[in-house]
Parts: sequence; structure tokens; C-alpha cells
Amino acid sequence: MTHPTAARPAQPARDSSAPSAPAGGAAPVARLADVSKTYGRGDGRVEALRGVSLELRAGEFTAVMGPSGSGKSTLMHLAAGLDTATSGQVLLGDTDITHLDDTALTLLRRRRVGFVFQAFNLVPTLDVTGNVELPFRLDGRRPDADERAWIDRLVETLGLGQRLGHRPHQLSGGQQQRVAIVRALATRPDLVFADEPTGNLDSRTGRAVLAVLAAASREHGQSIAMVTHDPVAASYADRVVFLADGRVVHEVGRSTPAEVSAVMLELEAAA
Amino acid sequence: MSARELLAEHRPSILVTTLATTFGVALVGATRVLDQTLRADPVAGDSATVGQMLGVVAVVVIGIALYVGAVVTANTFATIVAGRTSTIALMRLLGSSSRQQRRAVAGEGLVVGLVGAALGAVLGSVLVVVEVAVLVGRGTLPDLPYSVVSATTLAPAVVVVATTLAAAWVGSRKVLAVTPLQAIGTAQESPAHEAPRRVLRTVVSAALVVAGGALLAAGVVTGLADATGVVVAFLGGVVSFTGVVVGAHLVMPLALRGVGRLAGGGAVARLAAENAVRHPERSTRATVGIVIGVTLVSTLAVALGTLRAFIESMTAADPEYFAELDALFSTTLLVVTALVGFSALIAAVGLVNDVSLSVLQRRRELGLLRTLGATARQVRLMVLLEAAQMTVAAVLLGLLLGVVYGWAGAQSLLGSAAGELVVPQVPVGLVVALVVAAAALALVSSAVPARRATSVPPVVATAVA
Repeated sequence: MTHPTAARPAQPARDSSAPSAPAGGAAPVARLADVSKTYGRGDGRVEALRGVSLELRAGEFTAVMGPSGSGKSTLMHLAAGLDTATSGQVLLGDTDITHLDDTALTLLRRRRVGFVFQAFNLVPTLDVTGNVELPFRLDGRRPDADERAWIDRLVETLGLGQRLGHRPHQLSGGQQQRVAIVRALATRPDLVFADEPTGNLDSRTGRAVLAVLAAASREHGQSIAMVTHDPVAASYADRVVFLADGRVVHEVGRSTPAEVSAVMLELEAAA
Repeated sequence: MSARELLAEHRPSILVTTLATTFGVALVGATRVLDQTLRADPVAGDSATVGQMLGVVAVVVIGIALYVGAVVTANTFATIVAGRTSTIALMRLLGSSSRQQRRAVAGEGLVVGLVGAALGAVLGSVLVVVEVAVLVGRGTLPDLPYSVVSATTLAPAVVVVATTLAAAWVGSRKVLAVTPLQAIGTAQESPAHEAPRRVLRTVVSAALVVAGGALLAAGVVTGLADATGVVVAFLGGVVSFTGVVVGAHLVMPLALRGVGRLAGGGAVARLAAENAVRHPERSTRATVGIVIGVTLVSTLAVALGTLRAFIESMTAADPEYFAELDALFSTTLLVVTALVGFSALIAAVGLVNDVSLSVLQRRRELGLLRTLGATARQVRLMVLLEAAQMTVAAVLLGLLLGVVYGWAGAQSLLGSAAGELVVPQVPVGLVVALVVAAAALALVSSAVPARRATSVPPVVATAVA
């Protein structure tokens, strides 16, 4: 599996037709205000998040890091409208999603959030085209001419042009992940949410996937939030937020894997 | 796995074996009672023919019920094995042989068969005893010292144990394909088209359909000259329908795909259509019993309807005679529908179970769909459409075959008398009954699974492994 942008730093051609990234990151695309999340009760009570406040800035590629059980997945679930907070407020763009009902949250995810998971991203019974167009189809429509052109570009850029009729089981792990990325970007969502997107890939394929995400943010101003525990993956982000015990404990700008690792080790030692 | 979980998994199979045994034991018992009544009757007593015919009918009808039950059980076991893949893989990893694993599953089949057969034997016997008491009390049956329970009555129970064990053995075949590696890492769903090719089965099926079709045609042609053509046509019907059942693994997916297209091209309809043919073998086994039931009932209804129309035109001068005959036809149809309907009931249990298990095993995918923006309503509709597609495909195919067979039967019988081709009569009542039954089955089989499917939280999709 090869990809033109496999090596870092990736520098694909700048695209003029796409919206350019706002300089420095302006308005927040998502905001969590004093958010807590508790699971279970009594002895089984787990406080996954304890009063987290965080802004995800538009056009930025943010990595959320932390050891297992730090609450990073919960944080992303809440920000993406996959789960509801026990207390506090979650905003996606201008929408307060804290008290939206299930259907409203579903429509929000369908139209305004993109998802890339570690594994099992694709519906096994649909081919590549079917998977990419699923969010549109669930909306009872097909991509319009503009969206069509955008999808075609993504498909071509990610080298999936020959695979459109293939089912997920006919694709390699890296190809599946790239299909998921095309789908996540296709609706031009407010926020793309990536949960350990390279966790199931070999390091070379993983780097290619990260380069694609970084390019989407840099070239098209796509806001991305990625949960990871891999310092190399985090080094592709513009900003790295560290979580421990359900709290935001540290934050750094663009960093090398070594720098990210150093912070992680420090946090481990402090724990 | 706890005993409760085991019971939950096998509850549908126990229900099916209990139903089949109850039916078999009750029918054999009822046949014996009728036989004893006939023997005591001074007029019919000398002739053993009626009793023998009753016996043959009972054996055929029970045979169909047991066959359908076995197919359903085999399907349930295959589905259970698919759901247990990771557990079986772990056992294999820890050193258990695949044959040991398969024997364990088959052992569960034996227990299921024994429990179901025991329950059914008791239920069936009680049913006959109570019914006889009621009928004797009403004076419908003479008060004789009936012996209801005997070795013969319990024969269905023994056969059910054997067929359940065999079905579990067939259904557990996939255990052999589980590798220890599947315990490690996230195993992907294997492609749907890995079903065995079954060359021999396909050839046998094609041969039966062709030979049976030829006999059917010969029967119709012979029937134009002589009413004995109906015997040839009957034989052709049995042979060709056996061919259809043997080749169901080819016929059903085709029918399902065809019906799937009717649902339209929306996202939900498309997903449902793909899901219904995702495991062709599973869907085939889940629907073939319904095809059998509907075909048999439709054949008889169409044949009798056509016969009735013909006789009505012949006996226009004697409406009283016609009314008598009409009543006889209605009774015959009702009795046969009730007898065959029991097999359809067993098949329906199988369909309910199939839809239910397939939803349970797709939690992750349902979570993914919810994450990507499928509303709870859309997921519910998807499950309903899946069930509807299977039901409609089975009922339509059964009705189509029934019209052909029913017409061929009536034509070969009446051809010589009518001197021309008769028009097949499809009774409105039959169509209405089938539509209602199909709708009810689709709704019932999808009600619980649909609720379960919508309760899957979207975060399930993000879970690792």
C-alpha cells in the first residue's frame, strides 16, 4: 500500500477552490463547559469526566491524549453527540446539544459530524460508494453536483478510484480507513471525530492515514478531533490536549513525538 | 455460559421441537381414535381402507412438520454457532479440538430434542385425551374404551429426538471452520458468498424440477383425453416441488433479491434488501418452511376452486347438489389448511428466531448506522423491511407454485370432461388470508428485534474488538 503523502511532513498541492483554514483558529467549533459524566451508581460508580472545559477551534486538528481510562473517549463521545453529559454544557457550533433528544442528535451527527473509528468503520453489505454516500442517503437524498465533485476529488486523492464497487471485506485495513475518511469528509461536517484511527494499522499505513487527516485540516480548514494514545499520531495535530482522571491536565501546540511522549511520561509519573 | 443463557439460546429450538412433537403425537392419537371409531361402526367396520388412508395422510403431514422443524432447528444452531465464534475460537486456542467443540454443540441438540420431545409427548397426549372426552361428552364420538397412548403414538417423539440431533449436527458444521486465530484480534465478517457450492445438490434439484415439470406437462396433456392424467400430474407435482425444496439455496436468494428490489432504492430499503440476502443459507432455511406450507395450501385451494367453478357451471340446474359439494370442498380445505398450517407455524417460529438472532449479532453495525445518522425510526423500519422481504418472498413463491400446481391438478382431472383448457381460479379468500398472514408474520417477527435494534446505543460502534 503506497500513498503519495505517506512520509511526514506531507506537502500536497495547495487547493484554491476549497475554503482555506482560518489563521490561528478563531471561533470554537465545539465547546465543553464544566462537563461531567458518571456511569453506574453505588460501588460501580465511575466518574469518567470531572468538570472538563475545552474549546475545539475551527479549522484545527486537535489530538486528545491520555492513558486508558483517562476519559478521552468519553470526552469525544459527548462532543460528537454520541452520548449525553451528566452535567455541564456541550455546544457544537452555535447549537447547545446538551439536551437534544435522540432524533435531533442523530440528525446532527448525520449532517454536522464525521466519524473515523479504529475498526469496523464500514457497513459490510454496502460497497465503497454506498458507504461514502450513506450519510446523504440516510438524509433521503443523493450528493448534489458540488458534493459529487468534492467526493470524486477525495476518492481520487486517496487512491480509491478503482475500488468504488468493492465491499469492505475486499479492502485492506488501510483502504477501509481511507474510505471512512472520505465518508467523514464528504458532508463537509463541522467536526470530524477520529477515535484511534490508526490503532489497527501498521505504522506505515497509519502514517499515510494521519497525513490525509492533517492535509484535510491544513488545506480545507476541516476541524478534526482525534483521540489517541500514540505520540506519533498526536504529532500530526496542531494542538495536543492531555487528559488524566477525567480532567484536562495539560495542553501543548504542535509537538514532536518525543515531546508528546515526554509529557505523557511526566503525567504517568505524577499519577 | 450459564444454564440460563443456554436456555435463552435454545428456547426457540425447544419450542419448535415441542410444537412438532405435540402435533405428531396428537395427530397419531387422533388417527387411532378415528380408526377405533370406524372399526366399531357396523357399516365401515369391515373396511380397513379408510383407516389406512387416514394413517397415510397423518404420516405425510407429520413428515412435513418434522422436516420443517428440522430445517428450522438446523438454522437456529448454525446461527448460534456463528454468534459463538469467538468463544469457540478461544476454546480452540486453549487446545480443544474442533471435533470436540462440534460434539458439544450436537450434545446440546440432543438435550433440546429430548426436552422438546418429552414436553410435546405429554402435551399431545393430553390434548387428544381431553378432546376425546369433550367429543364423547357431546355425543359426537361413541363412548368406547379408547386407547390413546401407545408405542405408535409416541413414535413422533422418538423421531423428533433423532431429527433434532441430526439438525444440530448439520447446523454445527461451521464449528469446524473456526480457527484459534479468530480469538485474537478483530475478526471481520466473512464474505457472504462463502457458502458451499453444493454441486450435487444443484444437479439433483435441477433434475427433479425438469423431470417433475415434464411429468406435470404430460399429466395435463394426458388429462385432455383421460382423467387418469391427474395421477401423472400429481407425481410430477411431488417430484418437481421436491426439486424446488432441494434447490431452495438457489431459488430463495433469487426470490429475496427480486422482492428486495420492490422496496425501492432508499438507504433503508437498500440496507434491508442487502441484509436479507447477507447469509443466503440462513435466509433460505428461515423461509423454505413457509414456502412449503403456502404451496401446499395454495395448491389445494386453487385446485378445489377451479374444480368448484367447473362443477358450478355443470350443475347449474341443480343448485342443491352444488351447495352440498361446496360445503364438502370448504371442509376439506379447512382441515388441510389446519394440518399444513401447523408446519407453517413452526416455520414462522424459525423466521422470528432468525430475524431476532441476526439483529443480536449485528449490534456493532447497528451502532455504526446510528452513529452515522440513522434515526431509531430508520433502524426499526430496516428490521421490519428485512422481515417483510423474507415473508413476502416466501408467500409469493408459494402462491405462484400453488397456482401452477393447483391448475395442473384441476386441468389434468377435468381436461377430458371440459374438452378444453380450464382457467385457474385463485380464491379471493386464499389471497386475503395469505396477505393477512404475511403482514402479521412480518410484524410479529420484527417487533421484538426492532425494539432491540433501536436500543443499541451509537457508542457501541466505537468499541474496540
